[in-house]
Amino acid sequence: MANFLKPFVNWVAKNYGDNVGKMLIHTGVIGWVLSSAAQVVAIIINDKIPKEQKMYMIPQEIADAGVNILSFYAITQTCKGLGSKLVNSGRWLSGDVRKFLLDNNVQNVGKKGFDVLTQGNLTPEIAEKFMEFRNGMDVIATTTGSILSCNIVTPIIRNEIAANRQKKALNEMHKVEVAPPSSYSSAPFIKRPTIDNFRSNAYDRQIIYPSSSSLKI
Amino acid sequence: MTSLNVNRISNVARNVTGTIAGVVPTVTISNPKANKVISWIGKNISSPENRLILGVTALMSQPFIDLNNKKVDEDTRKISAARTVAKIIAGTLTGVIVRKGCIKAIDAFSMLPSQITESTKFKGLRTLFTPDSALAGVLQDLTHHKNALGTIISLCVMVVTNFVIDAPLTKFLTNKFVDKIKKKDAIKAEQAKLQQTTQQIVAQQKPQEVKEVARG
Repeated sequence: MANFLKPFVNWVAKNYGDNVGKMLIHTGVIGWVLSSAAQVVAIIINDKIPKEQKMYMIPQEIADAGVNILSFYAITQTCKGLGSKLVNSGRWLSGDVRKFLLDNNVQNVGKKGFDVLTQGNLTPEIAEKFMEFRNGMDVIATTTGSILSCNIVTPIIRNEIAANRQKKALNEMHKVEVAPPSSYSSAPFIKRPTIDNFRSNAYDRQIIYPSSSSLKI
Repeated sequence: MTSLNVNRISNVARNVTGTIAGVVPTVTISNPKANKVISWIGKNISSPENRLILGVTALMSQPFIDLNNKKVDEDTRKISAARTVAKIIAGTLTGVIVRKGCIKAIDAFSMLPSQITESTKFKGLRTLFTPDSALAGVLQDLTHHKNALGTIISLCVMVVTNFVIDAPLTKFLTNKFVDKIKKKDAIKAEQAKLQQTTQQIVAQQKPQEVKEVARG
């Protein structure tokens, strides 16, 4: 059992062991997909929600999942990337690290392409402080991105998408209900029989089966 | 979602961050308290806390967005908002509990060899989720690894709990909220009807009073 799990455990440690923000984004995406699947089932099995509202809510939920994943990658990733870039390049730093870099006359701090961890010649103690600061900023940036994407952008977009879908679905449903039959033969049970129908039917029957009926016209 | 889309989004995100990062001013956080808070967040805020924060902020924003969606009728708006609240409560509750539970479980079986003592039970299983780098002494702090592994395991657990707990709880809460809304609406309708009837009676009585005064 342990041998079977070790490659997976090592993979997790390698990819997420020191990167909380990355883990939050990746697990967040999977979490939203699973949660949306469950919510769609919840709507389908709920008898108390009328059919018309279900037609709004099911696409709303599917749109929610789709938009969530996209906004997670677009907004959360942007926020996380921005936070990481600002900290890694030295544009945003804690006082201790900034003082160390200034004292040691490190050039190009805060410039594009500069990396504090590799080019800052940090001592182990300062490097640890920098890592703590970086992880904190990473979590703050990721959480801010998640709040923006999941709680503000997604509900607005998904409502728009779902409302349009409901409108379309209701229009189609209405069309089906009121659509006139294309021809008499294709919808014979919808059209009410007229007196002419009875008359011609009786006439036909008299011709085909002259002695089978007692009806006389 | 195809890999092409993911790559495109990643590229867009990279370009956006590159452009913004070039404009953002240099900031130095010198306040020791602020630095402590940032470090604490980095160390202690993981997926359960993140889920809780998302849930609380969702309760503060999503129902209002649903209620202000003018593109659908009022009934749909109300039911949609009720379901959103139910979904947030159910999702946050199960999400936080399952994530926290899984991280706790992983924590118990991701020990470093130095942490295992004579009195430790199930010694053989205590390093089940400890990575090789930690066993070799390279990785010292396993906090983030445990949180990450616990969160991944919790996603597997949530495949079940989403259907067994989340969905029925959402349904139950939605129905409760919808019933409340319907009751409130019925009371409002009754009050409006009563008011209308009263107004009609008053309107009918007035001409009679005028006639009586005229006769008198």
